[in-house]
Parts: sequence; C-alpha cells; structure tokens
Amino acid sequence: MLKVVHYINQFFANVGGEEMAHIPAEVREGIVGPGLALQQAFKDEAEIVATIVCGDSYFNENMDEAKKTIIEMVKKYEPDLFIAGPAFNAGRYGVACGTIAKAVKDELNIPVLTGMYVENPGADMFKNDIYIVATKNSAAGMRDAVKKMAPLALKLAKGERIGASVEEGYMPNGKRVNFFEKERGARRAVNMLLAKLADKEFQTEFPMPDFDRVAPNPAVKDITKAKIALVTSGGIVPKGNPDHIESSSASKYGKYDIDGVMDLTEETYQTAHGGYDPVYANIDPDRVLPVDILREFEKEGKIGSLHRYFYTTVGNGTAVKNAKAFAEEFSKELVADGVDAVILTST
Amino acid sequence: MKLELGYIFIKDIQFSDVSKVEDGTLYVNKEEVKALILEDQNFQKADVELAKPGESVRIMPVKDVIEPRVKVEGPGGIFPGMINKVETVGSGKTNVLKGAAVVTTGKIVGFQEGIIDMSGPGADYTPFSKLYNLVLVCEPVEGLKQHDHEKALRFAGYKVALYLGELARNLTPDEVEVFETPTLTEGLKMYPDLPRVAYVEMLQSQGLMHDTYVYGVDAKQILPTMIYPTEVMDGAIVSGNCVSACDKNTTYHHLNNPVIHELYAEHGKTLNFIGVIITNENVYLADKERSSNWSSKLAEFFGVDGVIVSEEGFGNPDTDLIMNCKKIESKGIKTVLITDEYAGRDGTSQSLADADPLADAVVSGGNANEVIELPPMDKIIGHVEVADVIAGGFDGSLHKDGSITAELQVITGATNEMGFNKLSAR
Amino acid sequence: MKKMIITNNDWVLKKYNGKFTVVYIDGTFKDVLLAVRDKLHLGHELLTHPLGSSVKPGETPIKSIMISDEKNKINFSSVYMIENAIITYDKFNKEKLKFLDDKRIEDFKLIDLTVLESALNI
Repeated sequence: MLKVVHYINQFFANVGGEEMAHIPAEVREGIVGPGLALQQAFKDEAEIVATIVCGDSYFNENMDEAKKTIIEMVKKYEPDLFIAGPAFNAGRYGVACGTIAKAVKDELNIPVLTGMYVENPGADMFKNDIYIVATKNSAAGMRDAVKKMAPLALKLAKGERIGASVEEGYMPNGKRVNFFEKERGARRAVNMLLAKLADKEFQTEFPMPDFDRVAPNPAVKDITKAKIALVTSGGIVPKGNPDHIESSSASKYGKYDIDGVMDLTEETYQTAHGGYDPVYANIDPDRVLPVDILREFEKEGKIGSLHRYFYTTVGNGTAVKNAKAFAEEFSKELVADGVDAVILTST
Repeated sequence: MKLELGYIFIKDIQFSDVSKVEDGTLYVNKEEVKALILEDQNFQKADVELAKPGESVRIMPVKDVIEPRVKVEGPGGIFPGMINKVETVGSGKTNVLKGAAVVTTGKIVGFQEGIIDMSGPGADYTPFSKLYNLVLVCEPVEGLKQHDHEKALRFAGYKVALYLGELARNLTPDEVEVFETPTLTEGLKMYPDLPRVAYVEMLQSQGLMHDTYVYGVDAKQILPTMIYPTEVMDGAIVSGNCVSACDKNTTYHHLNNPVIHELYAEHGKTLNFIGVIITNENVYLADKERSSNWSSKLAEFFGVDGVIVSEEGFGNPDTDLIMNCKKIESKGIKTVLITDEYAGRDGTSQSLADADPLADAVVSGGNANEVIELPPMDKIIGHVEVADVIAGGFDGSLHKDGSITAELQVITGATNEMGFNKLSAR
Repeated sequence: MKKMIITNNDWVLKKYNGKFTVVYIDGTFKDVLLAVRDKLHLGHELLTHPLGSSVKPGETPIKSIMISDEKNKINFSSVYMIENAIITYDKFNKEKLKFLDDKRIEDFKLIDLTVLESALNI
C-alpha cells in the first residue's frame, strides 16, 4: 500500500480560524479533516499515514524554520507521496502549500501534489514547479477537488506517465504534453471558429507567449521642467515598515512623503522585501530608490522637480493581478498631482 | 461547382494475376505495377509490397501517400497539369478506392525520413496505418541526381495511384457524397443568417523536396488565389514535399483535406462555406509579405467573417502563419490557426518560431519533439538503416532488437497541420 | 538592392562569390545565425527567413542566409526574426550532427543551395 503524508492548515484541521493561525507545525498520526475524503477516494491503493497541521501565519512568518521542521516530520514516514491542501482561494494557505510541497519534492525527492484556485497567489508562484490541481474558489468545491486530486495523486505515487493538463486537471505548467483529443484538429478548428464568431468563450490549445507589453508613451517633451515620481517594487519603506507591507506576496503598497528628504539613510529607511539579500539596500536605500541622485538633478536643473511622494511595494511573488490593481489606483493620484514621468525601479 | 465522390470501400488488398476490385478487396497485378514504374528509365529496379492494418510491418522512408481516384464524369482527369491535361477539375463524378493508398518510398537524400508502422504504438500516430497500402520500393539508376530522383518517384506514385483508380471506373460506389460550392455572388446570398467562412490553405514552397504543385505549377511561383474546394478533391494540389515527415501534407492529405470536409459538413447548418484561398510559404521575406497581403486581401474581397488557416512544415512557415493571422484579423475577419509544436523533448521550449497576441485561437497538432518508443516489427519495407538518420532520430535510436527511440517527428503525418488527426498538446 | 549571403556552405561560396557579397563562415549553423544577428545589429536587413527549409537545426549543419548589402537604420523585425531563429535553433537536440558522413553533408549542402536559390529566382 502506498503511503501518503498530508499537509493542512489550522482551519481545515478544525483548530480554529485566524485567531489560531499562529500555531506551529505539529504532526498527527492518520487522517485529519479533508484527508478523509482523499482517503475514501484512494480506496485500498494508498493510505494517509500522517497529517501535518500548521498555522498559516506561523508558516509564512517563519518559513525557513517551518520548512525544516515539516521536512523532518515527513521524512520519518518515508511516504510515496506528499499532498498539501487543497487551499482553494486562501492566499497564505496556498503559498504555504506550494512552498512546502516544492521543498518536500526538492529535498526528499518524492512526488508532491497540491490544489488551489487559479487566482490564489500560490498558483502563479508554484504551478511551474509542482503539480497544482485547479480547484473552485471555496471549500464548497472540496468534492470536485478530491475527484481530480486523488487519481492524479495515485498516478504520481506510482510513477506513472502524467498526461496533459486538460486530461489530468492540473494547471498548465509550461510543459507541453501530447494526448489524443476526442475530435480531429480540423473539427476542433471549426468549432473554435464558430465560438469565436459568435463571441462565445473558447479556449485556444496553444496560448501565445505572454505579451504583457506596454506601448511606450511619447518621450517627455522637456525633462528640465518635468515633475518626476519614484515608484518601486523593491520594498523601500520608512524604517520599521509602518504599514507592514509583507515581505512576499504583498497585499498592499505604501505612499510616503519625502518632502525635504535629500538622501535615504540606514537610520531612516529600509527594505521590506524578502526575496533578495537586503544588506546593501538597507545600508543605502538609495541603491533601490535613487532619491539622492534625483535631488542632485533637481538642484542642477536637470529635472523640473521630484514628486513629494513615492509609492512602494514588494514584488516578491506578488500576484500580477494585485500589482496591476495597485498601479491602477495610485497612477490616478500621480496624474492628479501633475506628475509628468515616473521612474520605476525593481530589484 | 458540384462534385460527387463515390466511395468504394476497400477492406483488403492482395496480389493477383488480374488487377481488379471485387467485394471490397483490391487485387493487384504486381508485374503490371512494376512495369509501370520501370517505364521511367530513371529506375533500374522496382519492387511492390503490401502493408495492411494490424500487421507487424514498418514502412520507411516514406515519401508520399496517394489515394487512388478516377474521374468518372466531368472534365479533366485526376492530377491535372501533372499527369492529366491542365483542365479545370472538381465537377462531375469521381470514384475513390476508400481505404486504399499507394505509398512511395526511397532514399532521395541521405537524411530521408518518414515512418509508417502498421501496428503498435507508432500506428496510433499515423492515419496511414489504417489503410490497405501498396508500397512502391524504387531503386534509381546509378548517379541519378536528387532533383530527378524526387520527380521520378513523385510521378511513379501518381501513375500507380491512377492505375489503381482506373479499377474503380465502372464500379457502383458503396456510398456517395455530394459537395457543391456555387459562384461567389450566389454563395454570398445563401444562408444570410450564417457567418461566412473561408479556408486559407498554406502550401510549402521552398525548393527541392519542399515543394507543392497546383495544376502543375510550382506553388512558390503563384500569387495567392482562390480554388473551388472540389478541385482539390480531384488532385489539383499535389505534394512534392519530402522533409518534415510529421507535418508535411502528403497528396493523400490534399485529396482528403480535413478542413474542407469539416467546413462542408457545417455548410448551411452553422456557417456558410464560401471557398478556399491557397497561398505559399516562400523563403524570401518579401514574398512572405506579398503573399500574406494577398491572402488577407482575398479574404476581405470574399466578404467573409472568419477563416481557418492551416500551415505546413517547420520553422519559417510559422512566420507566414502569423503574418496571415495578423493581416486577416486586422481586416476584422476572425481567424483560427492550425499548427503543430516544437516544444523540445521535455515540452518546455517555445513552441513556435513566431507569435502574436492576435493569434488567440490556435489548434495544436501536438509536440513533434516528444520522444516515443517504437517496438521492433517483423517486417521492414524500405530501408531499415534509415532509422538512425531520419529526422528526430539520433545515434543509438535504432536498437539491436530493431526497436527505435525517436522523436514523434519521424512518423509520417503525426502532427499534421491541416488537423487531420486527434493528437494535440497542452 | 545589393545582396549579401552569409553561409557555411562552400557550394554557395563557390557558385555565388563575385555575383553577391558572400561571407563564408567556417563554423556551425549557429555561427551563421550569430554572424547574421551581428550584421543586423549594424543595420543590415534580413532578406530570407533564417529558418528557410523544414530541415531542422538538429539535422543539418548547413545554413545560408541572405541579407541586404547596404546598412540602414536598424530593422527591428529583422532582429526579432533572427532572435526567434536562435531560440528555435537552441531547442533542438544536436546529437545526430556528430555522426554525419560526407554524403549526407553533401545532400544538406544541395538542399541549402536550392532553398537559397528559390529566393534568388534562379
């Protein structure tokens, strides 16, 4: 019988909601919560030998520690497969499922599987690294999720060939896999064209590479008169990170006044970013957000002026959707404030 | 233009003293076929073999596959401009030996390619494993130039296909299908509530072993033009293409063009099938621009709402495909493209050599780089040593037991870009 | 327009040197692509598709590409096309190329020559 270790959060373990999200990882023998449905679907082919329960806040705030502890817990059982979730639309749970599943796969070299809603930030972060089954956006979709996850889990545990994403139900992972459709290509082309002509929904079989290109604006007419703003995804914030912008998967951005600030120093600013070595950014935050140089330019008349506020967030694993929403919001303010041009810095 | 296709279903093929069709069996006089091939003095020796579905047989290297047909009524003959006189075909009656095919093989160049397995996993990927095949193995005379060899082999295939087709002239078809396309003015008035659709067919046209012929004309010399869909069923377009086995269109594909058949199947029900635009895939970039300008102009001139564009071959045709798509879409005509992919052995590479956001509706014929295992076969027709050098083969791909490890691209017709197959990729 | 051919096919060099500017590259298919890319960066225009022919980069070591002899403003669609060709080239397994015999290399030279000539209308 194949052995499976299952990872779930405090909520699905029935420990509690947000108020219990701080609990560290603990291992329980056998099945807990949603494992029951998975176990039923496995029938006699696989057995969930242990369930690891961990609070979402604990995991995300103590990631290295949590990973290490959980990998040790998993190792003890020598499982044939590791399943995390499904996490549905719970963002931090999704990130935890993806992170721990990838870690288990990399460190212990056993197959792993998780499931979540396609817009869960964990999906974008990990879908190319591990198999993630696309689920509905709430726990009401548990039955459907289990129906897709259990057969794929067994295939993975047995080391069988994994078919194409549409057959197996995992999210497209950038790896093209052949399979036989029910109808021939020409028929599918006619059906697709009919749908396209009728403005109905259709799915291309080969999505073009991501063309998230932005047409450049016309050049600034006179840079010596222009009001320039600074915007960064490099996480530069006032010391202490007053708005608690997350070190990864940021859910917000900050707007900070730099009126009279000539230079960003170690004492006054820092980075909140958790995705790069922060040492050099913390010693001199101008390295990421060049306020010092722009002040010089301002003085020398090379630019008109530096805008009074800068906008900042952390680009580390932040969902594109979130990032777009941030920009849509603050670019209106920039326009209203009469900003002519923006310098975007990343890391 | 109206054409009746009369299908005589072939359920077996055998050698016999007299060539004939009886009770669904195609009897072939081997010596007559050999003599027909050897009429061409470019060949010193010819052999003829049978390959039936389910047999432990591997055919390689395949050049072309041709369906036997005969013109029973109406002007012209099959393969006009090639074998028969340049007369406009596509009307009247044509009989078809459905289920039979002539397969030509031969080593024109050292890297000749194309496998048809009649059973086993390889058979699932090629439509020709389901046919009763007469396989021609022709040996050229010493020192025959590649150009001449290619042409001789091409014509041997047509001649034998017509010879077999002739056997169907006086037979009563088991089933008749009627295809009709009216004039443009009449066609546009028909079915006013249905969207008007045309088919843009891209023809490979890049030099020796990369060519397609339309009424005998090398397609690289044409400007894009219109053709009645039924003309194609009478062999107005033939293949001289011997590279990229998996995604070249054989003459069989042209005769049985799946896009044309599927559009006819919906004609008058969900769409109004106006006609076919043929265009080429030349190497010269200015030609690509001119041809795609022309195909989009024709689509506009036809007043259609949507088109299906099919591709042929690897690499540079991706550029033609995308140019056609962009220019047709920019005229407000919706497109669906049919292509195949070269996503690398692990499936993670960029699939096409060109791309555009307007290409938002694409049908995939599968990843031609995916590695497959072909078990040994009892009998090899053609040249077994070719396995190591055919496209996608690599050193050691031919194992001691006769099995082959290779990329899918070795299999004739496997990732066809007319959408002939069910294979796809995600 | 005056034309330049960049090639590692000595048959092309022999036949067209003098009629066109022929730059002979003593190297691989990839070396030809890179040489063409470098020329395009200087403002030459691509005239034939760098992946002309369906013979794949994993099969043939031979390549000829035609560009404009004159330099002009950098042509971005030329650069885009050569970059895509390089990406496409790189994804093919080249294991087979190690085992080519002279006869097969000659066949590839012939195919390359005819594909080039299809663009020259010869």
